Amino acid sequence: MAMTKEEAAQRARADLASRLGIPEAEITEDGVESIDFPDMALGAPVDDEMSGAMISSGWRIRLKAHEEAYEYRADRRQIRLFNFKGANYRL
Amino acid sequence: MNRQSFPGHLALALTFIMVAAFAGQMRRVQHSQQQRLSACRLTAMKRDAAHPPAAPRAARAPQSAEVIVRFRAGLSFDTIRALVARLNDRVEDRIEAVSNQIIVADEDGLSAEAVAAEYGTLAEVEYAEPNFTISLDPSEDLRFDDVLNQDHGDLDLLDEGVTPNDPMFGDQWALENRGDRDGKAKADISAVRAWSKTKGTRKVVVAVLDSGVDYTHPDLAANIWLRPQSVAAYSDEQLGIIDDVHGFNAADDNGDPMDQNGHGTHCAGIVGAEGGNDIGIAGVNWQVEIMPLKFMSAGGFGTTKDAIQAINYVIDRKRAGVNVRVISASWGSRMKSKALEDVIRKAGDEGILFVAASGNASADADRAPHYPSGYNLPNVLSVAALNRRDELASFSNYGAKSVHIAAPGAEILSTWLGGEYEEHSGTSMATPVVSGVAGLVLSGEPKLTVKQLRERLLQSVDKLDSLSGKVVSGGRINAARAVGVD
Repeated sequence: MAMTKEEAAQRARADLASRLGIPEAEITEDGVESIDFPDMALGAPVDDEMSGAMISSGWRIRLKAHEEAYEYRADRRQIRLFNFKGANYRL
Repeated sequence: MNRQSFPGHLALALTFIMVAAFAGQMRRVQHSQQQRLSACRLTAMKRDAAHPPAAPRAARAPQSAEVIVRFRAGLSFDTIRALVARLNDRVEDRIEAVSNQIIVADEDGLSAEAVAAEYGTLAEVEYAEPNFTISLDPSEDLRFDDVLNQDHGDLDLLDEGVTPNDPMFGDQWALENRGDRDGKAKADISAVRAWSKTKGTRKVVVAVLDSGVDYTHPDLAANIWLRPQSVAAYSDEQLGIIDDVHGFNAADDNGDPMDQNGHGTHCAGIVGAEGGNDIGIAGVNWQVEIMPLKFMSAGGFGTTKDAIQAINYVIDRKRAGVNVRVISASWGSRMKSKALEDVIRKAGDEGILFVAASGNASADADRAPHYPSGYNLPNVLSVAALNRRDELASFSNYGAKSVHIAAPGAEILSTWLGGEYEEHSGTSMATPVVSGVAGLVLSGEPKLTVKQLRERLLQSVDKLDSLSGKVVSGGRINAARAVGVD
């Protein structure tokens, strides 16, 4: 099922709240922008992952919590957390 | 003439004019029919050249003597026409796809052999061959009316040189760049010229290792590999017997490589969407066998293990007698895997070329390698992407030591899920262009080793300033040169 930009942003907020153990209300949205990612892992591959080398349109979702910045990457089919404590995660 | 007889004379004159006009029209129709028959004969000759029959077929001279003459390079068409007229002959047709190749019609009752011999003595002529009609088997013989009425793609092709009748061909700048959309005319792989020699063959199998392929797509279905009855179903120690009718799905461990993403279907169309079928686009190969392999999910990503399993499957099929000679790999990551490297090396040992995307990080892959394109193996070709102006695409990786060749990879139109077509960009799109050209080369020279094939592709490039110091070969792949047209 295709995901919208709004749905992706909502899922990102919920995921971050869960990871940080804080209420969603403490997370602010810094911006959601449309962007072309370099591959089908949205430039955020997880370990042992290969992805199609095709430019993929999606959204960069910037969130902020307790003065820290976080970046999620999403397209209609997937959402990923980019470089969270040095690693990427596929939700 | 008196006034009373005027209406009668007028009616008579009108009747005469109509009869004359009808007769003229009939001559034009007849001439057109003869041209189409000539085209049909040529088609038969070309088809026969591409797929020589097991036994010689009976040949007969055409009713009016026709000769195919190729004049030497540098002669203008006006000069050629004057030469032909001097010999009291007529230029019947011009084969645009082959420079200076002309069909000459004799006007003074000589046989085709005699006309060919006459032209053969001219210093301006490279070769001259009688245009024999290749006789079909009696059961297949076509009547005049059948030829006129049939809707045969090849006839249309010859009317336009070797440009296919696929309606979206005009948007396939990689194959024929007409300078549209800020493009640079002729910044393409010279596919149209290559097709004058070969349009591919279903005797060559190109494996598309990807998210699978929509093997029901109307523009792909005819070119999808079907396991021959002589080859047993795939048997794997862990997976058991897998009925690999069309290929293999390593992501789900079954025999159904149906694409749920679109990426693999797009790549497959670039390699070999059926050409000349009046549908959609043309692949680099009009005819080829595409073996769909699925290791990436609907999201467009997969595991190294599944990639290895799929390559292992290809090697198994090769050993079982399937003529799979190319694996097209439009994917990768920064992670280096020895296991993946080893199985790719093994594929090379089995005579399989591995064509891989160099990656889309706009990076120097010599410093920041991308795999599997970055494995330094004798059967790996790493491919960079060009835009329609013959420039390295802004996203493309490059590497003077580790990226070997470039191919069109931006705004590439190809097949998509649901019988659709989409335009996409990436070294993913450049890779199957190279895989497709490898297939074309093998269609004419099936016994080339991987080393020979790889060298042929690298030595056939058009050198580009934009690629100097960026890729090993310094150029864009040229299909025509690769298949020996030049």
